[in-house]
Amino acid sequence: MNEFVTALIEFTFLQNAIFACLLASVGCGIIGTYIVVKKISFLTGGIAHSVLAGMGMAYFYNASPIMGAIIAALVSSIMIGWINLRWKEHEDVLIAAFWSAGMAIGILFLSRTPGYNVDLMSYLFGNILMITHSDLSLMFLLDMIVIAFVFVYYKHFLVSVYDEEFARLRGINTELFYILLLCLISITIVILIQLVGLIMVIALLTLPAAIASQYVTSLHKMFLLSAVICALISITGVSISFGPDLPTGSVIVLTACCAYFFSVVLKQILSSK
Amino acid sequence: MNDVVIDIDNVSFSYGEVSVLEDITFKIYEDEFIGIIGPNAGGKSTLLKLILGLLKPNRGVISKFKYNGEILTNNIGYVSQHSTFPRDFPITVGEVVMMGHIATSSKFFHYSKKEIELAEQAMQRLEIQDIEKRKVGELSGGQLQRVLIARELVCQPEILILDEPTANVDMRIEEDIFSLLKNYSEHMTIIVVSHDIAFISSYVDRVACLNKTLVCHSTESISGKMIEELYDAPVKMIHHHH
Repeated sequence: MNEFVTALIEFTFLQNAIFACLLASVGCGIIGTYIVVKKISFLTGGIAHSVLAGMGMAYFYNASPIMGAIIAALVSSIMIGWINLRWKEHEDVLIAAFWSAGMAIGILFLSRTPGYNVDLMSYLFGNILMITHSDLSLMFLLDMIVIAFVFVYYKHFLVSVYDEEFARLRGINTELFYILLLCLISITIVILIQLVGLIMVIALLTLPAAIASQYVTSLHKMFLLSAVICALISITGVSISFGPDLPTGSVIVLTACCAYFFSVVLKQILSSK
Repeated sequence: MNDVVIDIDNVSFSYGEVSVLEDITFKIYEDEFIGIIGPNAGGKSTLLKLILGLLKPNRGVISKFKYNGEILTNNIGYVSQHSTFPRDFPITVGEVVMMGHIATSSKFFHYSKKEIELAEQAMQRLEIQDIEKRKVGELSGGQLQRVLIARELVCQPEILILDEPTANVDMRIEEDIFSLLKNYSEHMTIIVVSHDIAFISSYVDRVACLNKTLVCHSTESISGKMIEELYDAPVKMIHHHH
């Protein structure tokens, strides 16, 4: 641990990594909360994996992979949301289709891209130690977009997520807010990709919020608590992985799983007393 | 006679091939307290959803009027039979009641002084002000029902529709809720669906018996024979004196 603190003071890349954890925790805390209370983590997984299609195309056309990721995430979330609203009974099949089609398209484009690109591995599994200043600025910008929407439409999101029928009877366009929520989820996925990679993104979008949900009575408290938990988990993950030089994304995800497991056990003990 | 607020004219509805409602013609008047009774799958909830506009009739027209003759928009309150929201949702009683303002409230987190006052009044009337900070998922059936009614009252609807509001509560709370509705019905049109005719007939002004088709009675004229026809089975009748 001491070794990590010394290194943190010395190396800019580690400082950047910690900043990245903090920035990711903002989006993760807010959007993870909605994912958990609305029980759409599988759908989120579908959007996350379909991002590979955009990244593959971006590589092929020599464009910025992260821009490809943003566009693919937005397109797939709008498509999944729109089809889902009209075809609700087959939601799981729909998600499975988007999940695998996205990856398949991504791999097809990558196979036709000359040369082997190391970056791809970091998008799949995350590489927080390679994060640059421009990545951090992008994460900050995306965080601001998420915060702006959620703060302005807090009441509308709350009522649409909590009681859709009531919201509709009060004249709220619940379909619009559903699609908007999926778009905000896709933005958050892009924020988190550099941390843990698109394959493991689902862990950070569900586990910290699921831990928080056991201890709060209100949605805005859950935003705060899950953001703090997410920050603690990801910073712990970075510090554990640093010494033995383990893949950071994997260590963060396993830390999150352990934290979730312990919180469930703790809650059981507390409530049985 | 008061003005008509809801005019259901020759309405039929079916889910696919299955006909649920046939040729329903029914007028509801201002400040009436109406009970709709009938057997399960007799179309009670469907009729409510048609009135609310959640479903569209296959045939016929449902017109809704404001007291001055204008068409009603969003001033119908509705408490559904099965609350669809998840029990583990992190939300307090106060927050759910405040939701009643959603159609007119501003953006961001805060609520105006007037909105908070209206919510506090509604909570006092329903005697839930003590549990304002409690998590909704921890409430009993009767408490939850009061919270949902308070949420509807917050926006001062002109018509309040309740689908089996006392299905999950015990007798004493059922009486409380109906006496309260009785008070509100002096300046509000209230439509209540129930399976318990003997009980509601002592509160409501008129009873509509619904089993695919609809027959309407004033509460004085309800007889055992009429109920037998409706349910197609002998029914025990408890007589009420009005």
